[in-house]
Amino acid sequence: MTTTNAPGERKIVTFSLGTQIFGIDMSSLIEIREWDEPTPLPGVPDYIKGVTNLRGTVVPVIGLAERLGWEPSAIHSRSCILVVSIAGKQAGFLVDEVSDIVLIDANEIRPAPDVEIGEPSVIAGLVKTQTRASEAQGAAGDIMVLLLDLEALGLTRQMDIAA
Amino acid sequence: MLTAFDILSDHVAAAQGTRGLPNDAAALEALDEVLKNGGAPDATAPVAAPAPVEVDADPFGFVPIAGAIESFDPFGFEPVGVSLDDFDSAPDIAAPWTVTFLPSNAALSNGGEPMLIIRELELLGGSVIGADLSRLPSLRDMDPEHSYIGWTVSVPAAIEESAITDCFDFVDPDSVVTIVRGDSVAPAAPAPVTQAPPLVAPVVSIASIAPPAAPVVAKVAAPASPEAPRVEPASQTIRVELTKLDMLLNLVGELVIRGSILADRLSPKDQERVELPQLSRLTREIQDTVMSLRAQPIKQSFSRVPRMLRDLATETGKLVTLETTGEMTEVDKGVIEKIGDPLTHMIRNAVDHGIESPADRIACGKPPEGTIRLSAEQKGARIFVRVADDGAGIDRVRVRAKAVEKGIVAADAVLSDEEIDQLICAPGFSTAETISNISGRGVGMDVVRSNVEALGGRVEISSVPGKGTTFTMVLPLTLAILEGMIVRLAGQRFVLPLANVVETVQPEPGQVRPTTTTGEVIELRGNYVPVRRLTRTFGFADNDARSPEESLVIIVESETAGHVGLMVDTIDDRREVVIKSLEQNLHPIRGLGGATILGDGSIALILDIEALVGPSSSVRHITKGLAA
Repeated sequence: MTTTNAPGERKIVTFSLGTQIFGIDMSSLIEIREWDEPTPLPGVPDYIKGVTNLRGTVVPVIGLAERLGWEPSAIHSRSCILVVSIAGKQAGFLVDEVSDIVLIDANEIRPAPDVEIGEPSVIAGLVKTQTRASEAQGAAGDIMVLLLDLEALGLTRQMDIAA
Repeated sequence: MLTAFDILSDHVAAAQGTRGLPNDAAALEALDEVLKNGGAPDATAPVAAPAPVEVDADPFGFVPIAGAIESFDPFGFEPVGVSLDDFDSAPDIAAPWTVTFLPSNAALSNGGEPMLIIRELELLGGSVIGADLSRLPSLRDMDPEHSYIGWTVSVPAAIEESAITDCFDFVDPDSVVTIVRGDSVAPAAPAPVTQAPPLVAPVVSIASIAPPAAPVVAKVAAPASPEAPRVEPASQTIRVELTKLDMLLNLVGELVIRGSILADRLSPKDQERVELPQLSRLTREIQDTVMSLRAQPIKQSFSRVPRMLRDLATETGKLVTLETTGEMTEVDKGVIEKIGDPLTHMIRNAVDHGIESPADRIACGKPPEGTIRLSAEQKGARIFVRVADDGAGIDRVRVRAKAVEKGIVAADAVLSDEEIDQLICAPGFSTAETISNISGRGVGMDVVRSNVEALGGRVEISSVPGKGTTFTMVLPLTLAILEGMIVRLAGQRFVLPLANVVETVQPEPGQVRPTTTTGEVIELRGNYVPVRRLTRTFGFADNDARSPEESLVIIVESETAGHVGLMVDTIDDRREVVIKSLEQNLHPIRGLGGATILGDGSIALILDIEALVGPSSSVRHITKGLAA
């Protein structure tokens, strides 16, 4: 992972979930894995798909779509698991497709509209960028990427409620 | 004297504000007593550290040609060279042990009087053959609480090495102790150091009288240098962070798994080639070695017992001696850290309740001094830590009466001796009439049992009235490995800790009967044992339709609910699994003790029997009446 970014620049990994494009900070990403059916756990919320073996460590796999309250994503050949580190804990997120790694300017991040009710927003901000996928489709102009706030997605808080 | 050192270290602690001031008046009195009796006067003043050398000087006379030495009386400290020659001239006899002992600087302030160790060696027939004064600073720089002198002691060859190491059981870990056979250790500087200049003279004169002694002069000088590196290995250790070790362990585990996956992919013919078995043997050896890195001698836990025992003996006015065996038994570091508290409680119990007062002991025809035997041994994958006393044993009538009084058992309950013994581990139980500094709070043995059980072990109690009581902690060798039964539930594999399994039953038609809509019992040799369907507990509804006859019932034993049957689909295997915590990346899940990675890389969840069948589960309450 390079640290030679110019000040104010951030590398993000973009991925698609349903029709939306999301992004997470590159620095919290550990690896991208192929989808592999995890071992289901009893007595946990539906969005925890189970646990999987990441080089000897037991890592929970979370269906990000369900976690955000959407329809569960259908598993297909491009489904993959983004293994991230959230506050020292590792978790895998099931996403539909990883699209790109893009460089964004921190100044361009717009705050997320404050519309959510109940739990704190998991969207850290919005940023417009061009991804390879959008270029390939010949789409003119930028696409909107929703930056996820991993800390807010962090499992521990929800776990406490679930447990 | 030892008490004096304990008090001294208490003063240090008090000065650091960690403790209250100890009662030193009593200790001073005791010290005066010792002084009056002329016992070990050299220990009263800490400055007397060099004294043992002088005291021990006389055993030098043991050298066979003592007569010759006496003629050189002013240099009576010198016969070291001669004695070495004596050993050399008898090569067919096994060389005697040469023990060098360099107490750590803090030995005196910690109560580890080196003199006592030297005395102990002398009891074995050893004699001091030299003292290393090289560390001795000038008088002005001397700290009276430091021990500067190292000793070289010769111990007869017939003594077992273990007997010698036993003498050093409780020395400070910083002390340097080397035990070698033969004469390789030349005393670095014969005592006293002021006599160094005339050193040459007597050797020469001995040489003139007894020509064979001449080469000794060279010999004394020569072995000194090869000896220097030999002292080194004791300090050649490195500190490694535990997380790094664990990571190494994980990676090796992964290596093993990948190896077996690779093996599965090869054709049977390729599998028989020699490289693959070699590779798997190597990886297994690496795995074993990494596991052993976490192991440490149990000595660490035992080393604080003598001090505790002395305090307890003073408080209770009882006479207690301690015997320890097996302190070199190696146990996982995690276990060592967690047995400290249980051990403390067990020792306290043994002194307070087990050992009688000296007067009572004499009345029973026993020696006034009670003995506590502390031992550790490894049997298979378990470690047995025993605390045995030769006291009065458990007063079962009293224990029973107390338990009834406290409402722990019903007044009309019929209890076996073993069951009564187990009562002392019940929460809130105490036979002490008053709460003392030592015991009577009723938490001690309860803590012992819960701590030991948290480690996956158990406590065994055996007591013979009038002869004493033995508490045995049976502990797993490592916390990282669990012996388990791999069972299948709704197509998923789970690990059932073998320690909980009592038996497995293939139910006959009609043997499992429903009692309520959710509760079932199994008839087992006339008893009814509640049965739980794990698929239902975990909400795997898909094979609820499976009839009991197609399933297996595993009878497990739990602390809170007694015997309970768990219904599973099949049993796959029985094997040792490496425990991975779920908490590391998730949160604890009720009913699961962790997870493990099976040989094919997939994950199996480890069942926590206590939580699964524990009191909070509603099914048990329904069936309890029938089972009882």
